Amino acid sequence: MTRWHDAAETIRALAADAGVHARVHARAVETTTREAEAPGASTPVAGRRDVEALEPEVAVEADTPTAIASLYKPALAGAWADLVAAGEFDPVSRLRLPSRGRAPGETGVAALADDVEVSQRDAVRLMLAVSDNACAEALLDLVGLTRVAAWLAGHGLSATAVRRGSAQSLRRIIEETGGRSLSEAMSRLADPRHDRGTSEYDSAMTSSGTARELTAILRILWLGEQYDWVRESMRRQAWRHRIGSGFPHDDVGVAGKTGTLGRLRHEAAVVHFPHELPVAVAVMTVSVRPEMHQPRVDAAIGAIARSAVNALRTPAALAMWPPPHEPGSPREPPC
Amino acid sequence: MDLLRHARFFVAVAEHLHFGHAADELGMAQPPLSQGIQRLERNLGVRLFDRDARRVQLTPAGADLLPAARDLLGDADRWVSQARAWTPRATLRFGIADDLLGRWGGLLRALAADGWNPLPIVRPSSTLVQATRDGEVDVALIRHPCIVDGLLTGAVFSAPARLVAQGPEGGAIALPVAVPPRSHHPAAHDQLVDALARLGHSGAVVELGTASERDAWVAAGRAAALVVGEGHEVDAAPVAALEIRVRVVMGPLRVRRSGVDAPALLTRVEELLR
Repeated sequence: MTRWHDAAETIRALAADAGVHARVHARAVETTTREAEAPGASTPVAGRRDVEALEPEVAVEADTPTAIASLYKPALAGAWADLVAAGEFDPVSRLRLPSRGRAPGETGVAALADDVEVSQRDAVRLMLAVSDNACAEALLDLVGLTRVAAWLAGHGLSATAVRRGSAQSLRRIIEETGGRSLSEAMSRLADPRHDRGTSEYDSAMTSSGTARELTAILRILWLGEQYDWVRESMRRQAWRHRIGSGFPHDDVGVAGKTGTLGRLRHEAAVVHFPHELPVAVAVMTVSVRPEMHQPRVDAAIGAIARSAVNALRTPAALAMWPPPHEPGSPREPPC
Repeated sequence: MDLLRHARFFVAVAEHLHFGHAADELGMAQPPLSQGIQRLERNLGVRLFDRDARRVQLTPAGADLLPAARDLLGDADRWVSQARAWTPRATLRFGIADDLLGRWGGLLRALAADGWNPLPIVRPSSTLVQATRDGEVDVALIRHPCIVDGLLTGAVFSAPARLVAQGPEGGAIALPVAVPPRSHHPAAHDQLVDALARLGHSGAVVELGTASERDAWVAAGRAAALVVGEGHEVDAAPVAALEIRVRVVMGPLRVRRSGVDAPALLTRVEELLR
């Protein structure tokens, strides 16, 4: 118990040092045999454990509603994957993303100049791997806010609300700051000489969630076969400057999704050490500094995630306690 | 002898030049008034009045001593009413970080002149935030940005700053900058280091706990000083310039004291900052 408590104390100190409010939650992800195979793992894990019964967790402000920025995208991907599994969508059917009216953004199709056509599943991949706003917007149109809400409700996630996509959020920021373009609006928000805000920082006004429900979403995505594509897309996320920076080890998997908007810097990821249970960790930060580039905060998110995950690391064999011991077949000691 | 009481007798008789009328005014009988005047004259060793059967007249001594007696009574009355009107004036516990005293220490003088009765509480910004939240400080001027949740905050004020060092012109850029410890205000510290680097400075700093220590390092030529200048035209200078930013914070309602008019104070401090 104290290990998790100590981690929470460390996390609070790291957050204060970085000049951020932090909302953090971490928990181990119950896993099936196949999913336990981390990169380089050689010992498959058999069986499951009853995670709900006495679940260890690290929680700091884990139930504080927070604007989630792009962290609505994993839930959207989950809802899409269920519709594919139900036969409602064909994952390889084409999505047209004409250049006119496409959502603005710095990455992926949103950053391109000309008309683009991609399959639904490739749009999911771009949305998760590089946070492509254009693909996210097209998928949100396809799935609809109602079905995303139903997916969340179906999993009992009552503290998460997807109210709009990134494209609409960015349009609101332009309106509220009085900027003529997105870059001008973002510069105004980032001016250190003012303490400017936007309703897009306000959990009551925009898409919001809690750190605890973000790790719950990750667990759902990590347990269902229908989410293979979603998980694989998150493993391919292009950035490793936040949670990934806390795990500078080539054999440790970090599959995540970032969320970034002005003062908000978030990431929710599954960290997977070989031969251990994967750990889902969500770190959301609200910075007191308004500047766009804050590598110290990104690094602090890595350090916070490391503290949280370390407190929960459990060799997979131990996690199956009590061991499925069969007389006459001695097991190898856990490594 | 009660001097003030007898001085009052003297002034009353001198004004009326009639013992009966004076006794009426004083709300007493005539015989004790006459005895009182005699007692006073004996005590002072001076005759104040010439009196015969028909009239009462001031002696030359009485006429000379009358103005001072009036002053004495006037002062006594003023002193009593001052005492009655006296109400405790709340002490304004005004928090300020020592790195801000050089540029904004004048705030204390101005508040004292206004009658706010400020008590300076000089602590690091992050300590002041906690003290303000706990109600140990009424209002504080702190470095911005800091984590300030739970506090009422004023607008952000910026003042341009420049590096100054002993020795040849331009030497400051090569020296580490004397600053308060990073823990005093981590986010503001990091923002300053980034601004130094942006200017071409190495971003190296020497973290020293007190203003006098920082001054000493600058005097010894071991560090550059960050001198905060006049002016606050925030939109005039490019963002990349060195700036020190501050804001006023106040505690939440539950810790405010009734003796301190918080909204008026916040308005006044912001006026002074402007």
